[in-house]
Amino acid sequence: MSSKLRKRENYLGWGFSSIYLIYTAIFWGYPFVWLVILSFSKWNFFGTPRPVGLKNFIRLFSDPIFWRIFLNTVNFMVYFIPMVLILSILFALALYRVNIFRTFFALSFLVANVSSGVAYSILFSNLFSESGPINSLLYKNFGFTIPWFSDPQLALLSIAIMVTWKFVGYYGLILFAGLNAIPKSLYEAAELDGATNWQKFWKITFPLINPALTTVLVFAVNLTFGIFTEPYMITGGGPMRRTLTFMMHIYTTAFQRMDPSYAASLAVITGLLSYGCVLLVRFLVEREVSLV
Amino acid sequence: MKKLLIISLVLLGLFVFSAKIVFWTAPNPLQEEFWKPLVEEWNNNHPEAQIDWKTIPAAGSSEEAILTAVAAGSAPDFCTNIFSGFAAQLAEQGIIIPLDEEYGQEFFDLVKTRKMENVIEGWKLNNHYYVFPIYSNPILMWWRKDKLQELGFDKPPRTYSDIYEVAKKYANPPDRYAMQVVQGRNWWDRWFDFITYYYAASSGKSYIDTKRYRATFNDEYGKAVAEFIYTMFKNKWTAVEMGNQFSLSTGKALGVLQGPWSLNWAKNTYPEVYENIWISPPPVPDNYSGGPIKTFADTKGLVVFSHSKYKKEIFEFIKWVFGNPENDVRWIEITKMPPAREDLTTNPLFEKFMKEDPYFAAYAKEVGNAIPPALVSNTIDIQDAMTVYLIEPLMYLKSTPEDALNKCVKEINKILY
Repeated sequence: MSSKLRKRENYLGWGFSSIYLIYTAIFWGYPFVWLVILSFSKWNFFGTPRPVGLKNFIRLFSDPIFWRIFLNTVNFMVYFIPMVLILSILFALALYRVNIFRTFFALSFLVANVSSGVAYSILFSNLFSESGPINSLLYKNFGFTIPWFSDPQLALLSIAIMVTWKFVGYYGLILFAGLNAIPKSLYEAAELDGATNWQKFWKITFPLINPALTTVLVFAVNLTFGIFTEPYMITGGGPMRRTLTFMMHIYTTAFQRMDPSYAASLAVITGLLSYGCVLLVRFLVEREVSLV
Repeated sequence: MKKLLIISLVLLGLFVFSAKIVFWTAPNPLQEEFWKPLVEEWNNNHPEAQIDWKTIPAAGSSEEAILTAVAAGSAPDFCTNIFSGFAAQLAEQGIIIPLDEEYGQEFFDLVKTRKMENVIEGWKLNNHYYVFPIYSNPILMWWRKDKLQELGFDKPPRTYSDIYEVAKKYANPPDRYAMQVVQGRNWWDRWFDFITYYYAASSGKSYIDTKRYRATFNDEYGKAVAEFIYTMFKNKWTAVEMGNQFSLSTGKALGVLQGPWSLNWAKNTYPEVYENIWISPPPVPDNYSGGPIKTFADTKGLVVFSHSKYKKEIFEFIKWVFGNPENDVRWIEITKMPPAREDLTTNPLFEKFMKEDPYFAAYAKEVGNAIPPALVSNTIDIQDAMTVYLIEPLMYLKSTPEDALNKCVKEINKILY
């Protein structure tokens, strides 16, 4: 290849990539660098940030609110991940078996995912409220009500239920794609060997949807660290700070308490925690899948 | 032709060189209705000092919108809807100017003209006045008159024991409770429950000593209030959640603390409730022996930003608006909120409201008894601590009133320290 042509291709390549690179530099690189600088500074929106070294991080690890949120996040994962995983697998399996109206069912579940967080938060808050339809029904028939959002322990579970509802369709479709990628011949061979449905699921389906399952788990873990709209709209982080999340605390620290540098250090630690959890999930769950 | 050219040049000069003073007001339709004609009139008569009026941009809160604008360098020249805690934050950073220092005697003359010499004292921060108070909303109890009368009461409950009496006759959880004691878990909800009850019980004593920077509400008054909240929850005479509808409309509760801004809303949304309200001061302990019952004032005012190049023009505008009591008459007509002035019950200009609207009169009479929040810059953290360490343990019966109160004061002192 002549050097002229190589040069031209080089220019063309840079030309195409430059759009993405410029976009990334402006909307990702610049904020990220600014965030890191801020996390090591003292700044309150006005004037020039003053370097304070690790002070923000020392304050963060001795902040009881940080540890409360950390426990809330673990608690949320304990509720959310098994719930969303089981329901998504069931949804994917059901979709796999359904022969008619498959697109309709898939879209119906996806509606939840594309709905506005604010809108459905209001909807759920009405549905689960003390005088809402669910509690009215319970009270009329059984004489008791459930404090969905006002009981410290139940509130987080209620939010986990809402978020599960939103993501079952989306995660289910990822798993459904994983199921479709499994060759039918494997099931036929297993049937010839006399395998039961249970055995087929555990020996063929489950191991072979590992890539899709890992993807879903990574998404779910990331989501756990990014929850904001639902608790912000419904519980405001309460009761007893049990539904306070990292994102809420970052937001209120920056914009209500006027402490953006501390909020930046919180954001950095949240990002690292989230990344650490993703690595752990991949280490524990991800397996090499080969059909050859 | 020459004349036309000169006139055009003069007009162009005025347009190019006239001051464009950016003014933000609360994003509230009623307040917009108040400001719009005033700004138009001013602009027609002052081509050299044109006001570019906008409502505070949409955001999570007015404070957030203003902060973002300040950080981005696009803050207005002056702005309304500023509460005292936020003003303290802005003043601490030198973002707003001390009005007394900037305008000297003229500022005090305006304060005198608008009859707000006592009101302005509640806004003193480091011996300066950074905010020009516009309105002062006393927080008062609304009671369902019809239901209380059915129960045999001929006047609204005044003391905690009176409320317990009502509760014994009316409460039947989860259908009916005596009153809505706690407003919610947002930091600002503490203004409308604990702080209001505390001001009432203590005859207006501040919950924060702003000189020593210490929380001081773990005294006999704070204990009485905490005991009251605890008793109400313990006996299930109030509830953590009152449902999504206005609790008085459904009869779920018979009483709740409300500001005057709810009058227009209740009149339009719940006319049957509006017809049947008793408005009274907040409840007090049984042994209350102070004079008139004090309450919390939800009060907001106007600030001038330090970066503004038009401080003189701004004050001319403020004087022009607030030096004329007719504008306060219009304010009441439109918003139904009492202006921050002390002559509402004595000035003949306001007489018609006092006579024609008993609900407005009830609020206007209490303006002098309404006290603004403590002027501290950590308002959010302090009131969030009140929620977590005082209100929620009392609501969920997780702590005794005294322990919750002491723990809360300790945590707030850590924040203040």
